[in-house]
Amino acid sequence: MASNINFPEDRVVYFLKGDAIGVVSSYSSSGESRTDRKMWQPLDHAVANGLLIHYWADPKKVTAITDTPDIDNAFHLAIVDYVKMCLYMDKTGSQGNETAAVSLQLSQMHKGKFLETVRRFGDRRREKTGGLRAILPANFQ
Amino acid sequence: MAVHSLTVKQIISRIRQVFPDAPEAYIMSLINDALVECGLYSTKSMSAKINIVKDQTYYDISDSGQDSSSNTLELNKIYRVDFMDSSGDYIKIPRLLNGEVLVSDIESESAVEQPD
Repeated sequence: MASNINFPEDRVVYFLKGDAIGVVSSYSSSGESRTDRKMWQPLDHAVANGLLIHYWADPKKVTAITDTPDIDNAFHLAIVDYVKMCLYMDKTGSQGNETAAVSLQLSQMHKGKFLETVRRFGDRRREKTGGLRAILPANFQ
Repeated sequence: MAVHSLTVKQIISRIRQVFPDAPEAYIMSLINDALVECGLYSTKSMSAKINIVKDQTYYDISDSGQDSSSNTLELNKIYRVDFMDSSGDYIKIPRLLNGEVLVSDIESESAVEQPD
């Protein structure tokens, strides 16, 4: 069942509030006239699959050793770095001063590699953007 | 599979080159920590459809929120929203910055967080 709204870009807006997405519209199926202060109200008709959201998601957790991490393979080595970072940090707290200094240094090295892969490059390292660019101008007629 | 990727088992074996005594359960816990950390930085893009319910403003997008096929969203950050028009096409809709013009009525908004 499609929506009754011809131009959602003009009549429907969304906003975010905590763990909820709010969807409101200035469209009225019954042709009700609304004052400005009550212009935006919930949709007055149901629309199956009416909203399509695009988002960055949490990867699924791993539960078995046969699992493959639910993330692009470009980040798999970063996971190794993260685990080593944590283990070296654990080691730092349970050793004498000289060995602890080496563990701390190695922990920092793995932290740097992890952050470089995930935070600095993140999506850019594996983006599939390529080819000529084009801009479609709006039609002002 | 042509693309090289690592299973948890392979990750554990790489870790054990340096930490032979590290417990498997602890390493898996750290791998999940790493996945949570990776999820904060635009690493997994998803799209989901949600049913619009008559006279309902708010739709759940929490960790347990579900799409119209009852799949868990696992949503971190929304970067685009489309709405189905009268032809069945999805059209991008704007995000409202000024929430002050909105109204809620006495029957609505069970999704709004309330103290318990």
